[in-house]
Amino acid sequence: MASTANANNMNAVRETMDVLLEISRLLNTGLDMESLSICVRLCEQGINPEALSSVIKELRKASESLKVSENSTN
Amino acid sequence: MATIDQKSPNVLLQSLCCRITGKSEAEVAHQFQYAVRVIGSNYAPTIERDEFLVSEKIKKELLKQRREGDAALFSELHRKLQTQGVLKQRWSVLYLLLSLCEDPRKPSRVGNYGALFAQALPRDAHSTPFYCTRPQSLPLSYPERLGPGAAQISTSMGTSGISSLGVYSLNGPTPTPQSLLAGHQPQSAGQQLGSRLAWALPTTPNASTLAPTSRAPLGPPALSNRAPRPRRDGDPTSEVGEGALVRDILYVFQGIDGKFIKMSNTENCYKIDSKVAVCKSLRDTSSRLAELGWLHNKIRKYTDSRSLDRAFGLVGQSFCASLHQELKEYYRLLSVLHSQVTDTRSARCTSSPEGIFRVLQAIRPVFLFQLQVEEDQGVNLGVESSLTLRRLLVWTYDPKVRLKTLAALVDFCQGRKGGELASAVHAYGKTGDPQMRALVQHILSLVSHPILNFLYRWIYDGELEDTYHEFFVASDPTVKTDRLWHDKYSLRKSMIPTFITMDQARKVLLIGKSINFLHQVCHDRTSPGKILPAAKSVDSPKDAAELLSDLEGAFQGKIDAAYFETSKYLLNVLNQNYLLLEHLQAMRRYLLLGQGDFIRHLMDLLKPELARPATTLYQHNLTGILETAVRATNAQYDNAEILKRLDVRLLEVSPGDTGWDVFSLDYHVEGPIATVFTRECMNHYLRVFNFLWRAKRMEYILTDIWKGQMCNAKLLKSMPELSGVLHQCHILASEMVHFIHQMQYYITFEVLECCCDELWNKVEKAQDLDHIIAAHEEFLDSVISRCLLDSNSRSLLNQLRAIFDQIIEFQNAQDSLYRSALEELTLRLQFEERKKQKDAEGEWGVTAEQEAEENRRIQEFQETIPKMRSQLRILTHFYQGIVQQFLVLIMTSPDESLRFLSFRLDFNEHYRARDPRLRASLGATRSRRSSNI
Repeated sequence: MASTANANNMNAVRETMDVLLEISRLLNTGLDMESLSICVRLCEQGINPEALSSVIKELRKASESLKVSENSTN
Repeated sequence: MATIDQKSPNVLLQSLCCRITGKSEAEVAHQFQYAVRVIGSNYAPTIERDEFLVSEKIKKELLKQRREGDAALFSELHRKLQTQGVLKQRWSVLYLLLSLCEDPRKPSRVGNYGALFAQALPRDAHSTPFYCTRPQSLPLSYPERLGPGAAQISTSMGTSGISSLGVYSLNGPTPTPQSLLAGHQPQSAGQQLGSRLAWALPTTPNASTLAPTSRAPLGPPALSNRAPRPRRDGDPTSEVGEGALVRDILYVFQGIDGKFIKMSNTENCYKIDSKVAVCKSLRDTSSRLAELGWLHNKIRKYTDSRSLDRAFGLVGQSFCASLHQELKEYYRLLSVLHSQVTDTRSARCTSSPEGIFRVLQAIRPVFLFQLQVEEDQGVNLGVESSLTLRRLLVWTYDPKVRLKTLAALVDFCQGRKGGELASAVHAYGKTGDPQMRALVQHILSLVSHPILNFLYRWIYDGELEDTYHEFFVASDPTVKTDRLWHDKYSLRKSMIPTFITMDQARKVLLIGKSINFLHQVCHDRTSPGKILPAAKSVDSPKDAAELLSDLEGAFQGKIDAAYFETSKYLLNVLNQNYLLLEHLQAMRRYLLLGQGDFIRHLMDLLKPELARPATTLYQHNLTGILETAVRATNAQYDNAEILKRLDVRLLEVSPGDTGWDVFSLDYHVEGPIATVFTRECMNHYLRVFNFLWRAKRMEYILTDIWKGQMCNAKLLKSMPELSGVLHQCHILASEMVHFIHQMQYYITFEVLECCCDELWNKVEKAQDLDHIIAAHEEFLDSVISRCLLDSNSRSLLNQLRAIFDQIIEFQNAQDSLYRSALEELTLRLQFEERKKQKDAEGEWGVTAEQEAEENRRIQEFQETIPKMRSQLRILTHFYQGIVQQFLVLIMTSPDESLRFLSFRLDFNEHYRARDPRLRASLGATRSRRSSNI
């Protein structure tokens, strides 16, 4: 019983994630499956999505500038 | 999910950092720390936790990017997400996705991400340039708005404001207000971040780009040189920027003094501090906006002062509540505007207009439509976020009109309460503006709700729970039950709301009064529900609103129905249980002498009693006689209830009165019928009775006189010397009989019967007790006035009294005449008898002595005859004089039937021939009549 319930649960989670990935794609957020799942978990824990989005944007910018500097050094 | 929950946010964050940057954990330590700080910071969400709203925004975003198909797809996906129910914070996830959204058609990530860091501390972001130039004012920045530092700033700006204006006019390249420039500059999404940042500064980017051109002739800017700097157009340090004003205005909207805009006590309005440098158009606009704050304060002051005042009553409380409701609506708008300011500072553009949409939706659908159109056309997309004074002016246009109406209402309602207040509100509803009317109607429905509640309680239960004297029916608790109908309840004219007509108010008063009368006086315990099948009270203000809208129909119908039912029931109870109509008839029969046989018999029985002096009369004797009279006549068949009430009353005795003067019949009225037969009414009845009784007595006396004449005529034939006197008596008596008969005819048929008939007709048509009372009073009044008992015909009545006195005197005179004549007759007969007896005995019939004696007596008697004649002549003379006087008075009376009476009294024109005044007045009446024609 427990295992089937668990399996059902997992199925549901997977479907949900698929849907969210599709939405993310539609909105062109640039998140892949893994980062999306991390974000979803964070949101589920009550993290302020506004803050989270700004963090993500900042991280992207940081990595970009890092790449640029790497490129220039290279 | 169980597995997911095991990980702490920090671990997740770290893996997210690694994932996005593509570096190892050690390398991203710096970014990770930053991320933890941002997320853990006290960063209050500025957004609504509303999944629906977020999804709508996403759709809108997609539509904006011209991706209708994707929008439909998203809806489908969203629906699927909702059905699965795995996620608890769907809005959060969706919101995250939305904020990470990028328009694929536009170059992405061009904006300055640095602004995002600033947004965590929005106030700092705003005031950064300020600090640059004025580092010393740093600790006294914005949050301590009213500190000494603020004052210092404003003074330094004040001096610069004037000079900057001068420079402006000289060099001014564009006097266009900054807000206009900002508002109409289409901006691309790429510029958005920049512009948002710039908005946070007091100036727009456009202004700063213009600045160099105007600045050029003044030389390069120097930090140390502070004096010329403020002159620069749009310089953040010198002039107060629009952003700051907007923030100030938002405070002012709530009645709080802003940094620059303050309440000026002398002028009683909000003004920008004259020392602060602001360009004129901004000053004007903000003072126009500040009116809202003034209006708000006014309303607020009223509700605050009133809501604590218990004596203000329910109507006042509901008025305050309705004002509060309106203010709450207003606060909602303000909170959205506030969040707008915060939103723009935290660089979120898309969500900001939504809130306003929602509020405006409630306030002004047309306006919403306009904004929608604007948005659909893609205009102003980038600037939507910025809240300018002009934008505010537009957005607050409607609320301002509403507040203005409310403030005017508050002014008008000052010092009013209860129904008066409702009238005041109702007066404001008479306007052509449908929105105003709707607003006032809404308030009115709230305000009138307690009044209508009172009203329904009153007309359906007869209860008056009006602690604060707000209802238009007033009750006087000191009035006893016997005067309940007349005095206990009254209308408070000032409290009748104008939407209730006087007629309706009177009916309402009557309905409740009837119910209370039934309960308290008639002790009728029928529940009001049985009287009125449809007793339903207003339960909600909505019902009140419906009623108000249909005052003519439903409301009137309700009142009418209640009125008819209650009145009918009351009259039924009075007629069936309390025999009201029978009592009315009994009054006519007994007090107004309608029952002829009874009155005649009573007079017969009472005659010996009443001839005695009034002081020797005893009420119990007379009561006994009354009962005998009742039992002997048709009155015995009358209702026992009525006969029980019949009684004798002796009026106050003054010296020399006989029983006739003080005797009076009485009718006891107690209980409910006393409402109709009030004490005044009974006094009237007694007066009328006394008059009628006196007239009746005259008739009675004249009958006696006639009887005496008839009986004695034959006896006295043997005394021819008396014939002249007796003839005189006959003439005078028949004159009097004629007069009294005509008077009686007039009183009985022209006054009493006519009035009774009228009364009867009215009583039969009467719809409520008031009608009966009015008809009855009218009846009594007309009886009194036509029986010459009112003050106008006092002289007539005096003449009539004098005539009556003459009749009594005549009776006495004739009685004494007959007595002496009969005495004489018996003496003569005795003399003859003795003569015959002696003859029979064979003696001398009479001796000379006896004969002389007899002749002397006859002589004496005959000598008294001229005395009698002259007495009679004097009587006749007096009597005719008085009648003549009476006729003259009657001639001039305005009453038609009295004039006709004069014709009957003087049918052979005997008096007319004698008195020239009668001729003249007759002619006068004739000419008057002809002139009327």
